[in-house]
Amino acid sequence: MRPRRIELKPRRIEPRLRAAALVLLGLGSAAGNADDSLFTSSGGVEKLNGQQIYEHICAGCHMSGGLGAVGAGFYPKLSGDKKLVSWEYAALTVLNGRNGMPAFGLPSDEAQQTRAVQLSDAQIADVVNYVRGHFDNKFKHTVTAKDVTGLPHPASVAMPN
Amino acid sequence: MHDDADSNSVSRRDLLRLIGASAGGAAMYHAMSTLGFADPSPFKGPVDLSGAPAGTSILILGAGMAGMSAAYELRNAGYKVQVLEYNGRAGGRNWTLRGGDTYTELGGATQHVGFDKDLYINPGPWRIPYHHHGMMHYAKRLRVPLEPFFQVNYNAYLHSESAFGGKPQRFREVKADYQGHVAELLAKATRQNALDAAVSKEDQEKLLESLRAWGALDKNYAYVASAESSERRGFAKPPGGGLSARPIPSQPVALSDILQSGLWQGVASGDTYDMQTALFQPVGGMGRIGEAFGRELGPLIRYNAKVTAIAQDASGVSVTYVDRVSGANAQTVRADWCLCTIPLTVLAQIPMNVGAAMASAISAVPYASAIKVGLQFKRRFWEEDDRIYGGITYTDMPITNIGYPNSGFLSGGKGVLLGAYIWGLNAMEFTALPPEERVRMALEYGAKIHPQYKEEFDNGVAVAWHRSPFTLGCFGMWSEETRAKHYDDLCQIDGRIALAGEHASFIGGWQEGAVTSSMDAIGRLHDRIVAQGAKA
Repeated sequence: MRPRRIELKPRRIEPRLRAAALVLLGLGSAAGNADDSLFTSSGGVEKLNGQQIYEHICAGCHMSGGLGAVGAGFYPKLSGDKKLVSWEYAALTVLNGRNGMPAFGLPSDEAQQTRAVQLSDAQIADVVNYVRGHFDNKFKHTVTAKDVTGLPHPASVAMPN
Repeated sequence: MHDDADSNSVSRRDLLRLIGASAGGAAMYHAMSTLGFADPSPFKGPVDLSGAPAGTSILILGAGMAGMSAAYELRNAGYKVQVLEYNGRAGGRNWTLRGGDTYTELGGATQHVGFDKDLYINPGPWRIPYHHHGMMHYAKRLRVPLEPFFQVNYNAYLHSESAFGGKPQRFREVKADYQGHVAELLAKATRQNALDAAVSKEDQEKLLESLRAWGALDKNYAYVASAESSERRGFAKPPGGGLSARPIPSQPVALSDILQSGLWQGVASGDTYDMQTALFQPVGGMGRIGEAFGRELGPLIRYNAKVTAIAQDASGVSVTYVDRVSGANAQTVRADWCLCTIPLTVLAQIPMNVGAAMASAISAVPYASAIKVGLQFKRRFWEEDDRIYGGITYTDMPITNIGYPNSGFLSGGKGVLLGAYIWGLNAMEFTALPPEERVRMALEYGAKIHPQYKEEFDNGVAVAWHRSPFTLGCFGMWSEETRAKHYDDLCQIDGRIALAGEHASFIGGWQEGAVTSSMDAIGRLHDRIVAQGAKA
């Protein structure tokens, strides 16, 4: 049983609040979860560039400056991360997620079910370039949207009837 | 619904008595469920673990609801139980932040909770639906007193920044008007014979009668300002006593305004199964249950133990852990079996030799992003000014909820609100802000509903679940696709290791999912242990 989802009109946002609310208003709650947001927004990041995506989304876990963090588990430190030598590794991680990190390249229906955020291939290229070119990372190669489009994207699994 | 006059009911009751006498309570319960007399529940009382082979040891990883309910039952059944817990306290996400508490999140920001004595916020779960029989069972067994949790408060608000000029509307008015207008429309269609093909003439009479009652329509089947509609949506001037007694009906909001506002989305907020009355909260905070479990299990729990490796072989499971704070002092404990309730975000990073199916399942579940903000105010203005006693206001702003305390009404002193309960993209954005900024934003938004915020704010605390050192996220977000592919593999016993937790349930994010997954897992573990014989 999936609840109906209704898109509402864009919400007007005061400029000073805009930094933390770059979103359109949508509705959707995940069936069977303790999620209690009847109205919360779930889309509208399409205007963010690589740096903004990092600062507004990635930094929640990977921290400012790509420093990462360690608790019971860890968030990888992106500053000086040797794995970033492979842009494919970085882009595939953003597309598909990894070890509990959400995927940012999910098909729309699955993204909505899991309240995931969808980024375009161009945005994924942009944020990968940002991370590979900052935090003491000095990888020169610039990834394009077309490069990302060429990678395997997460696909919906056909549901058994 | 079962009518006593129903001729079937007598024979059904006799049948149940027969089943109860011959097969015991569990079989009777099962039969009742099948016949529709009882709620079908995944929790059917403590799992039967009789016949535990003497000396068999089970190591449990995680002292949350899953780990501790399992430890409690296994210990009582005679197993040798030990629990390793990352935090310095019992409970996991069953957790209450009270005045005087300190919380350090990933990234190092430390918050000192400045609430008054007895005031608190539950950063994690905050309510227990009555049909979460597992949680209700353990609250009772651990003697943790419960009090009502108001999911629906007719005098709380539904709010949209883009409707009614941003003015919050009372739940009562939106519900009455939505329902009244819909009833009027349906009555009109019925009387214009538009439903003749679908509804018989006899049923149409009953339908009209029911619509009048359901929608508070007048004698002409119209939803208008009247005593009837005001009994639902409230009066412009309520009835009183004496010479000023005469009530004045209120004017309903037009159908189009209700529809365009989108606020009708909030009308069903108490209708979903998990939100239906009655709901409960432990007196003094949700964390009281975890604390009680911790006291009950006492020295069986080793705190501040960060698990770094899990290795099984033909005869048992070895788990290595270090001191949480220093990262040093590695030790290894060994047991015959292991129940692992570590959140998947963390478990995916711990070396563990399980099969490829379980390993892929562990890595396949992203965790929901969620934030809760607790705000202490100098006075309980929502009660004194707005007459809102408990319950929840819903808004389309990123804070999504304002949760009012369900106890301490009119106590005269300070009060703590749940000032934000944020999900999805907004939660990610709030997580990236420092805690004091999250609190400030919750105040900015909330002040649009309660202007008193600015004057009355005292202090606040903000918990972003992706910054939680012990979970690295809020709860496992399964999609239908990932469930189809991985769920069974996650729940199967792999050699000597079984997993449990809300992530191994269909009640994701609820404590009941943790408890029922644990009961299910230890029941299967026990069956396997008994089948293999002691120490096999």
